Amino acid sequence: MLKKNSTDCCKNIRKKILFSIYYARSGHVGPSLSCVELIFSILKFGINYKKKDRNKFILSKGHAVPAFYAALDEFNLLKKNELKSLRKVNSRLQGHPDRKKLNYVDAGTGALGQGLSIGIGYHLGSKLLNTNNKIFCLLGDGEIQEGQIWESAMYIGAHNLKNIIVFIDGNKFQNERSISETLPEKNLLKKWNSFGFKTIKINGHSLNSIEKIIKKFLRNYYKKPLLVYCETVKGKGISFMENNNKFHSVKDLSEENYKKAISELS
Amino acid sequence: MTVSISIREAFGKELVRLGKTNKKIVAVSCDLKDACKLSFFFEKYPKRSFEVGIAEANAVGISAGLSMSGFRPFLASFASFITGKNVEIRTSISYNKCGVVIVGTHGGLIGPDGATQSSVQDVAVMRSLPYFEIIQPSSPLETKQITAYSASSKKPTYLRIARNEVTEFLPKNYKFKMGFPSLIKKGKANLVISSGPILSNCVAAVKKTNKDIGILNLSSIKPLNEKHMLKILRNYRNIITVEDHSTIGGLGSVVAEILARNKLNKKFKIHGIKDDFVDSDTPSSLEKFYKLDIKNLEKIFKNFFKL
Repeated sequence: MLKKNSTDCCKNIRKKILFSIYYARSGHVGPSLSCVELIFSILKFGINYKKKDRNKFILSKGHAVPAFYAALDEFNLLKKNELKSLRKVNSRLQGHPDRKKLNYVDAGTGALGQGLSIGIGYHLGSKLLNTNNKIFCLLGDGEIQEGQIWESAMYIGAHNLKNIIVFIDGNKFQNERSISETLPEKNLLKKWNSFGFKTIKINGHSLNSIEKIIKKFLRNYYKKPLLVYCETVKGKGISFMENNNKFHSVKDLSEENYKKAISELS
Repeated sequence: MTVSISIREAFGKELVRLGKTNKKIVAVSCDLKDACKLSFFFEKYPKRSFEVGIAEANAVGISAGLSMSGFRPFLASFASFITGKNVEIRTSISYNKCGVVIVGTHGGLIGPDGATQSSVQDVAVMRSLPYFEIIQPSSPLETKQITAYSASSKKPTYLRIARNEVTEFLPKNYKFKMGFPSLIKKGKANLVISSGPILSNCVAAVKKTNKDIGILNLSSIKPLNEKHMLKILRNYRNIITVEDHSTIGGLGSVVAEILARNKLNKKFKIHGIKDDFVDSDTPSSLEKFYKLDIKNLEKIFKNFFKL
């Protein structure tokens, strides 16, 4: 469907994230840039929005929605110039995903910690309907501090729900500071293992690694629910935004910074 | 012979009956299916029943996902526990406009388990959430009709279901209509408004006064057809609301808002639980203590209406 190669697509998605946030004069730029390859690959290999009964994608870290909108645009699913309407009244592109306005959104999220539970509901519903849809859920590494994540992990493990794949965008930062300064993760993969998941750690910017896992998951290769911890870089692709939590959520991205960022991608 | 049946039991049995033809109904429990009478459904339709464990937040999200897959989940727990999950209901169900029926049992004065398990804030909490319909049945017959309505509706719904036993007091030809509370007794000048199990106490207390007092069954709490409400309220000079719920944000507030919005000048009183938690004791002792029993209500009506 896409003539461009995937690396170029991800570059375009990054440009579109910057463009829409620059235009909106606010938005979560850092945590959007860290999950570009993940969202691009999930949409490319996992979701066919043209199908009525289809696999689902839940962006549980709803604040990274500029990356989702930019990816939709890259797949030609948004209207021309629609990215300019990010964070505006009456727009389909609200500050956090709103399924009432945009039907590509499988779950409105924004208060963290809730997407995985919704994924379980989709999984159970699909089983009842014998459709066996696959559920892709993307969590933030800060988000998993929410207790509800562990309630859902416990349920998924106990019932061995294999049609759910959980990605953690491991960009090492949360709203205010780094994860290690806030609430350090100890034995994170072991925790998920003990809940009944198979865990895999990958480079979350490696399109090849993500593609391989998604394809295996789609052909039911894994015998357990799957947790993919993705090592990522917050602000990935823009030198002055990388690992710089000032760019977690920007208020008024300056023209100078915007132009500098775009030139780094060109 | 009159038979008393608990509202929750009437709910549980009706859900089983509806589940036979309506295959979209599914049940979600948080380790309280016996108490909430969801157990009848679990026994009959195990494949459509999901025990989530003591994890209400997860249950809210799961119900949202089931609803977005085309099902009509009935998620039941104690009202105080489930409506306490505000941010989860707000984002996963309300924001997504999910057709989940949240069934809050054990509202009001439930007995010796005391304050933490007795919900006297749930209506106030749920009223503020967008798109939610809120309904509180008052008798076994009405519970059946409201359960059937909720199963057929696609809207986010909060059902406040009491554990109290209530002897049927509504006529056999009673018909529940969402948004259109019914005047179960006409009166002159004086009107009592209530719903849930306390309504039957009001009916008995009014009977004891032997006076011409009207009684309105406000089982539809949100939304209400305002024209219909005004048509009734305009006919009365003195209006009292009675509820086993906080006087902040419940039935009384609903009526007060309508009166204020429409500049209706009435003598008006909200009778319910003051801004506090409720104590432990038997339901009947608690009703006496909080002045919601028949004897106290009779006294309160006589005073308020100056009879």
